[in-house]
Amino acid sequence: MTATTRAKTNYLVTVLGGLFSLLAGMLITLRNLFRRPVTEQYPKSKPALSKNFRSAIALVRFEETQTHDCVACMQCVQICPSFCIAIEGDKPEGLKRKRATEFHVDYALCSVCGLCIDVCPTNTLKYSRVYDQVAYRRDAFVYDLLTEFRDAEVAYLEKARQEAAAKEAAKQAAAAARANKDTAPAAANASKELEND
Amino acid sequence: MPTRAKAGAVSERQHSKLGDAPLPETYHLNMGPQHPSMHGVLRLVLHLDGERILDVDPVIGYAHRAHEKMAEHRNYLMFLPNTSRVDYLSGMIYNLAYCQAVEKMLEIEVPERAEYIRVICSELNRISSHLLWFGTFLLDIGGITPFLYAFDDREQILEILDRVTGSRLTYCYGRFGGLTEDVDTTFLDQTRAFVKRLRERLPEYHALVTGNVIFRGRCEGVGVIDQHVALAYGVTGPCLRAAGIAFDVRRAEPYGIYDRFEFDIPTEQSGDALARYKVRVAEIEQSLRIIEQAVAQIPDGPIMPDKPKKRFKPAAGELYFAVESARGQFGIYIVSDGSEIPFRIKLRTPSFSNLAAMPAVLPQTTIADTIAIVGSIDVVIPEIDR
Ligand code: SF4
Ligand code: SF4
Repeated sequence: MTATTRAKTNYLVTVLGGLFSLLAGMLITLRNLFRRPVTEQYPKSKPALSKNFRSAIALVRFEETQTHDCVACMQCVQICPSFCIAIEGDKPEGLKRKRATEFHVDYALCSVCGLCIDVCPTNTLKYSRVYDQVAYRRDAFVYDLLTEFRDAEVAYLEKARQEAAAKEAAKQAAAAARANKDTAPAAANASKELEND
Repeated sequence: MPTRAKAGAVSERQHSKLGDAPLPETYHLNMGPQHPSMHGVLRLVLHLDGERILDVDPVIGYAHRAHEKMAEHRNYLMFLPNTSRVDYLSGMIYNLAYCQAVEKMLEIEVPERAEYIRVICSELNRISSHLLWFGTFLLDIGGITPFLYAFDDREQILEILDRVTGSRLTYCYGRFGGLTEDVDTTFLDQTRAFVKRLRERLPEYHALVTGNVIFRGRCEGVGVIDQHVALAYGVTGPCLRAAGIAFDVRRAEPYGIYDRFEFDIPTEQSGDALARYKVRVAEIEQSLRIIEQAVAQIPDGPIMPDKPKKRFKPAAGELYFAVESARGQFGIYIVSDGSEIPFRIKLRTPSFSNLAAMPAVLPQTTIADTIAIVGSIDVVIPEIDR
């Protein structure tokens, strides 16, 4: 074999090898043509959100009170790395414990890290499951989380106030009873009446 | 044929920095920051003689978000969400690396189960990062089909991780001492099924890409990073292993529980784009091996220590901790002044060093090769810029 024929054979081998590699690739493409499509046609079909899906935070609605339990301790505000929580709290009239009166979260800023959820002493924070908000203005993403609790909150506060008042009355009655044993029955009756209210 | 840059070319180019008087009769081309085939917002100033590249200046900083500076203004916990945004393609590895660094600093014991979950999630994340690279690299050099296959497989990983961590890319799964969520048997089953699935798919990838004549033509002998250049520039990860140096932090300085698993460190000798491709694909197989072992051995138990540390002040001092990310050695250097807020957190990111080697590699190649070369080193721009 001369050098030129060898070069020619080598060339032929390269070309054929190349052609084979292309055909091998096309065969795979052909096989995939008959596989079930994996593309999800969003938004026509919406995939289910995963079990632990995280989106910006929301307040938990507790079963027994039907409202949240934010006591405005500000721990979440302090830990939030995105500085996206703004809370104001106040002691409602007749109550000893603070309640949140303003709770704003900037959904555009929240980095869904979950640090606030970790620190919350009353476990009243959770991840929401919203993911498709759109707006033309950035401030549209600042959500007032208390809106949905307004009515429930009023009822809850009313109940809590009554309970507190009843407790207070019972305490006073007990104190009075201790101070003067003679008037004990009357005081006990008084506190009972209050509870019945 | 492109010739590789001589060692002398490295020092020679120091004189033709951007801003100096341009070389006579050279054409300057800005590749990026907005260029369809450039990764992210990288800008390469190419000094050209026709098609031939004489010199190149990578210009970075377009995605700078000051993560390191942010760390100086918040306590250790508050830096957690930043970590996964440094390199959003292997966010899990970065997030857990930061946790491990702080744990080392505070000497926190991590429960066994959490360690295993960390390994599984990190390796899954590494595979998803390599798959994304595989897809986009081929897209860069003109192959559209493999991209779709790779993304199909990657989607499986994202779904598995999404189910436990709640996020698809920017995970904030780690906490100091453990993790936020435990995994269930479904997760382990899904992971096992995925390992099986990808093992079946890899031969398909090889038939589709590795043997393809056009692909080989674009990659063979292109963009050689030899051992000398790699070591001089601090190149790590698959780029270093493609040059024949079997350095992997998981083996060299085992962290977590990586010393318990059997896996090989794939290496290649030629140091070209094809070698880097081969190393990454082989690494996917090795990660599958690690995942398989971890899933088989995972014990029951807690995933957080009994008393997780919420507020703490590490003693004054400094610490360096490194892990093997999908792109190379990711190091965290923390300086504490004894307060709640770190004095300084420096992140050593692999893409930065890998990209820095480009001026030694690109000269004497052509524009068309630039895409293949820069693509093959797998840079993530936000990770370079932090
Ligand atoms: S999840 Fe993180 S970023 Fe979002 S509100 Fe809570 S602490 Fe802030
Ligand atoms: S940590 Fe919980 S209770 Fe405290 S302010 Fe935040 S949401 Fe309210």
